[in-house]
Amino acid sequence: MDDYKKVGISNFLFPVNDLSIGYNSFNIDDIPDNSYLLINRVFDTEALELFKSIIPKLNRFKGIFFEDLSILHLLKDSNLELIWNQAHFVTNYSSINYYLDEGCKSALISNEITKEEILEILDKATKPLVFNVFGKNMIMYSRRTLVSNFNTHNNIESINNVNIDEEKTNTHFFLKEDKYGTAVFNRDYFNYINKIDVDDNKILFYLVYNSDLSTNEVIDIINGKEYGNDGFLYKKTTYKMKEYDDRRGDK
Amino acid sequence: MALLELLAPAGSKEKMEFAFLYGADAIYFAGQEFGLRANAKNFTRDEMRETVEYAHSLGKRCYVTVNIVFHNEDLTNLKDYLLFLDSINVDAILASDITVMKLHKELNLKMELHISTQASTLNSEVAAFYKELGAKRVVLAREANRKDIIDIKEKTGLDIECFAHGAMCTSISGRCVMSNYATNRDSNRGGCVQICRWTFDYNKDGQKVTETPFSMTPKDLNMISYIEDMINVGVNSFKIEGRMRSIYYVSTVILIYRRIIDKILNNTLDDEYKEYALKVLNRVANRESSPQFYDKLPGVNEQYYLGRDEASNQDFLGLVLDSKDGLVKIEERNTFKVGDTVEFFGPSFETFSYTIDKIYDKDMNEIDKAVHPKEELYIKVNADIPKNSMMRIKL
Repeated sequence: MDDYKKVGISNFLFPVNDLSIGYNSFNIDDIPDNSYLLINRVFDTEALELFKSIIPKLNRFKGIFFEDLSILHLLKDSNLELIWNQAHFVTNYSSINYYLDEGCKSALISNEITKEEILEILDKATKPLVFNVFGKNMIMYSRRTLVSNFNTHNNIESINNVNIDEEKTNTHFFLKEDKYGTAVFNRDYFNYINKIDVDDNKILFYLVYNSDLSTNEVIDIINGKEYGNDGFLYKKTTYKMKEYDDRRGDK
Repeated sequence: MALLELLAPAGSKEKMEFAFLYGADAIYFAGQEFGLRANAKNFTRDEMRETVEYAHSLGKRCYVTVNIVFHNEDLTNLKDYLLFLDSINVDAILASDITVMKLHKELNLKMELHISTQASTLNSEVAAFYKELGAKRVVLAREANRKDIIDIKEKTGLDIECFAHGAMCTSISGRCVMSNYATNRDSNRGGCVQICRWTFDYNKDGQKVTETPFSMTPKDLNMISYIEDMINVGVNSFKIEGRMRSIYYVSTVILIYRRIIDKILNNTLDDEYKEYALKVLNRVANRESSPQFYDKLPGVNEQYYLGRDEASNQDFLGLVLDSKDGLVKIEERNTFKVGDTVEFFGPSFETFSYTIDKIYDKDMNEIDKAVHPKEELYIKVNADIPKNSMMRIKL
């Protein structure tokens, strides 16, 4: 944290034990004051009860990046800054503005949209937003223990943090499992730093996720070193087969 | 008595008609816009209007999926579309994006708001949040267990809809964009290519762990053994997945669940029928099935490990077109021959088996074997069998 602070990073986001998925997490009591919490599990009834039990401990934190809407429902009148972070749902300005009107401080824009879509969202949002500019995207969250199940079925010793690869589509994913399920990440870093000319007044934070790089490497990237791909900035997704085939040149 | 509903998929008008005929109380389908089966046939606006009128004439209900996750460009026609659905008296829309819910409230629409499973509702606080937005019903995430269902029902009083049968996502629904990354097709707008049914190389620290391909494919859901318990804990609607499935699949599954529910309600359900139902359902699907999350966390036995382990189903032999004077006119679907023992099933009679002794072509020439799908043939059967009944291999 000290090294990051030296280059101007002002806020830190901490996954919380038993309430976060996909990242190394922390005991709530060990997380520094004035931090943001990343609480990204989809809560079942047990998780909801667990979350309710830690509410008295939340006052010393700045805010929560939340996936489960129960957090908004429970804390909308609190002093905590609530950042809408529902995976893959933060894709249009209308829904974002609903949550901002409902008391959210901000929203973390999803990463599977284009540069034009991001700019339109920033332009039409009623409050500054959080813009994730570097990291590996979590692209799937299963409640199943997919790695353990496969290992057990194939008599493979207990391993975790595995890669899966599919050659034809050049697909490279990373799987991280815990007792609450399996998170799948795209293995390539995306890097939007300096690729969009954004009005800083429309941004609450630029967010950087580091999975496995050294602090110095991340600092170099923040300072402009070329690393990673363009993600979906210039790649509009399709969803109807005809449109998909037309783009590939098939008829 | 609380609402108790069997809800069927309708990927087309034909499937809708069979779903209702075989016992569905309600259907769900999508229009040409905003649904998550973007590559299903789906319904034009005229077809939606006709479908709703038809359903209501039978005293049945129609729900329309408006459950994509919206991008900016999708917002343009949404208001017009919702007003249209309301104007043709659709009974409910299913939504996952908050913008749809917000508009439903702002426009003061009379059709009900149901929260789609894409919203992944698993706890009572979220359900209460949606209730305040005007939701009448929540379709729970397929990951909901018995405890979750009881808690949500008790604390919100919302109508509860649960999937009872059909395919499962590997992911919590809505929390997957693997298709976007592997194929550039947007899973949350109906473009999912089911990456979770692919196989992959399995590596750790740059080394292949095993030559066996990695797979994460779940078996299908099958709640036959728990329907009675689910009714008791307050589930109101039992949803069958499968808008892309055949009329044979939809008719078979709907008929089995119809009879299970009816037998529960009149206290005639026994283990023998449950076993029979499981046998039929295991046969009609091309994948194995299990109860998945209701009673436990799915483990090693609730998945496949060889990718798409799906056998082609050729059980459906023919569709009954007419029946008169001991001759049943059928449209052939798969090969059969004289001497085969088959079953006839339909919504208004008990399934029975029959050994074929005569087959005739359309000119009443006797033939030994039916080998041309879609050909109209006659079979000698000493029974009147209603139109749109089905003939299958004896199970």
